[in-house]
Amino acid sequence: MAIAISRGLSAARQIYNERGLRVRELRKGGKKIVGYVCIYPPVEMFTALGLVPFRIFGDMNEPITAADRVSTTVVCPFLRSIIDLGIKGRFNFLDGIVGAHTCDIGASLIIQWRDYVEDAPFTHLIDVPHTDHAAAVDYFEGQLNSFKRHLEEFAEEQLTDEKLKNSIVLHNRQRSLVRDLYELRKEDPPLLDSVENLEVLVAISSLPADEGNKLLQEVIDEVKDRKRKPPVRKARLMIWGPVFDNTSLYRLIESTDAHVVVDDTCVGTRAFWADIKTPYNMHSLAQHYLVDIKCPRTYRQAEPAETRRDYLRDLESRFGYIKKAITDWGVNGVILQSVKYCDTHGYEVPNLRHYLDTLGIPSIYIEHDYSERSLATIKTRVEAFVETLD
Amino acid sequence: MNNPVSRLYFAGIDIGSTMSKAAIVDSYTRLLCYVVGPTGAEHRRRANRVMEDVLAKSGISLDEVAYIISTGYGRVNVPFADKQITELTCHARGVSALFPEARTAIDIGGQDAKVLKIKNGKLVDFLTNDKCAAGTGRFLEVAAETLGLELNEMGRISLLTSTPVKINSMCTIFAQQEIITRLSEGEPLPDILAGVYIAIATRVAKLAHQLKVEVPVVFTGGVAKNAGMVKAMETVLGIPLLIPPEPLITGCLGAAILARDEAFRLIQLGEFKARKKQLGEAYIDFSENAF
Repeated sequence: MAIAISRGLSAARQIYNERGLRVRELRKGGKKIVGYVCIYPPVEMFTALGLVPFRIFGDMNEPITAADRVSTTVVCPFLRSIIDLGIKGRFNFLDGIVGAHTCDIGASLIIQWRDYVEDAPFTHLIDVPHTDHAAAVDYFEGQLNSFKRHLEEFAEEQLTDEKLKNSIVLHNRQRSLVRDLYELRKEDPPLLDSVENLEVLVAISSLPADEGNKLLQEVIDEVKDRKRKPPVRKARLMIWGPVFDNTSLYRLIESTDAHVVVDDTCVGTRAFWADIKTPYNMHSLAQHYLVDIKCPRTYRQAEPAETRRDYLRDLESRFGYIKKAITDWGVNGVILQSVKYCDTHGYEVPNLRHYLDTLGIPSIYIEHDYSERSLATIKTRVEAFVETLD
Repeated sequence: MNNPVSRLYFAGIDIGSTMSKAAIVDSYTRLLCYVVGPTGAEHRRRANRVMEDVLAKSGISLDEVAYIISTGYGRVNVPFADKQITELTCHARGVSALFPEARTAIDIGGQDAKVLKIKNGKLVDFLTNDKCAAGTGRFLEVAAETLGLELNEMGRISLLTSTPVKINSMCTIFAQQEIITRLSEGEPLPDILAGVYIAIATRVAKLAHQLKVEVPVVFTGGVAKNAGMVKAMETVLGIPLLIPPEPLITGCLGAAILARDEAFRLIQLGEFKARKKQLGEAYIDFSENAF
């Protein structure tokens, strides 16, 4: 087995660099690998049926060429990169792909995948409502039940309550291990840097849950044991925004006088911050994904009757969890990053920056076009931002 | 003059996309000397040259310079600098040295435009336009080339009218086409030029309004030397602007003052070491003699 040679952080780096490494092997052994886009398809359901969930990312170093046939250039370049890689056969080890209506382009992507990408017999799009009130949760539960029937057909197996419970326990364990990993960065200087952190998170999204959990435990033990003393830097930053699946941005930031100590991004904390609550069933899955995951794609607000009178109360109800992370990780500056054309995140930026202003936390907004080269122009702004921090 | 502090000098060097600048200050942050010259393709060679020039002009030897800070687009290509600081922080410091009351600074350079918010002499917030040539000096250069005019001439001619045409396109290339179209339609040259300035000013004002403009506002960078641009900027913002006698040097002046602050900080900590780095290190010599 190729990955048996390395353990812990070096295994994480190996899988980060070649994401299909382990799943290709598992596929040879007869496992079915199911790709998913965004963090809304409930991976617990995949695992429960013996399917291996594989998070699909783009590639910031691969110029987008084939995707021009199926999309215009004025949509999310991250999702364009995914369909581009799909058409080019980069994900030819997948037996299927599951998407969710997290945003409009994200939903179209799944349809395009079905129509343009070869070798993906199973496709499913889960409809996810955009508000988090009780009726929306019930509707979403219905959508998950219809996904369940489709997935059972594909796996040729019943998804029993027992299997679902066991899978939720396993994935909740992963959430708790990821939170332990982030604990290591509460120290000053942090014991784990943000580049290593991202490599680990990308690696576990390319592995079955049990193997991911094993890797996380190895990394945590290794980091606690290592003698290397991390450099002292003046700024402790938080990164906010949509998907960032490449270590380049973190490298760029860590080359200035700053550590990234925590994030609110969908490759980082978002999928792991809250556990699925008991009793473990389809309803608790729906509740978790729609309400407990905090992403701007779901609109959260204070009681509608009160919001117009009290804007600050609304901000608090939407962004209160960010304040807690800022306090717990000793953050003194926030970098809001977004991929170009992400209106989902773009519309949240002015409100979030205003909220951070009320907390007295300096912030900066940067936008990139999902290519490593475009990051170079960001460097001066990040450096200058760090220079302004006390 | 027996006070040893009065014999210490500090230098700032700003390698911009188009122009390189260097300044020397003394321990009291007084500007002693500055030079300005084009950057060209070879940053390191340029850095050495501009430093040599400012030393020669001031009659100060490199050994007397206690600390050097480099800034600007090419700041990493100054091998003899002790520290690099971004042009945003340096501009803010330089602007406050010249105008202690300044709250906002607008800088338009060769390839970017920046708006800085300043409080108590320190940079507190900023926005830059560095993704596209619209709203930068480059936009003006393209317009000047299209019309076959010198940049200064262009500014003077634009002042002859009070009825600028509207240039709608903000893309440098499309705007160039639009200028040609206007010419073919027989619009008077001053009206077209004034329109070009208004177009750039509108673009930069948009950045400034995002940060909320607070007076007094200082206007710097190479583009601030252009009379047409100053008038357009004041018209669009609706406020008078403060302009330094030499708008190009706020970045290197700020770098020199920050070099002085940093050296003093190190002296207080007992960590200051005499600088060893010399000019001419680690750069490729493209001069004729080298081949």
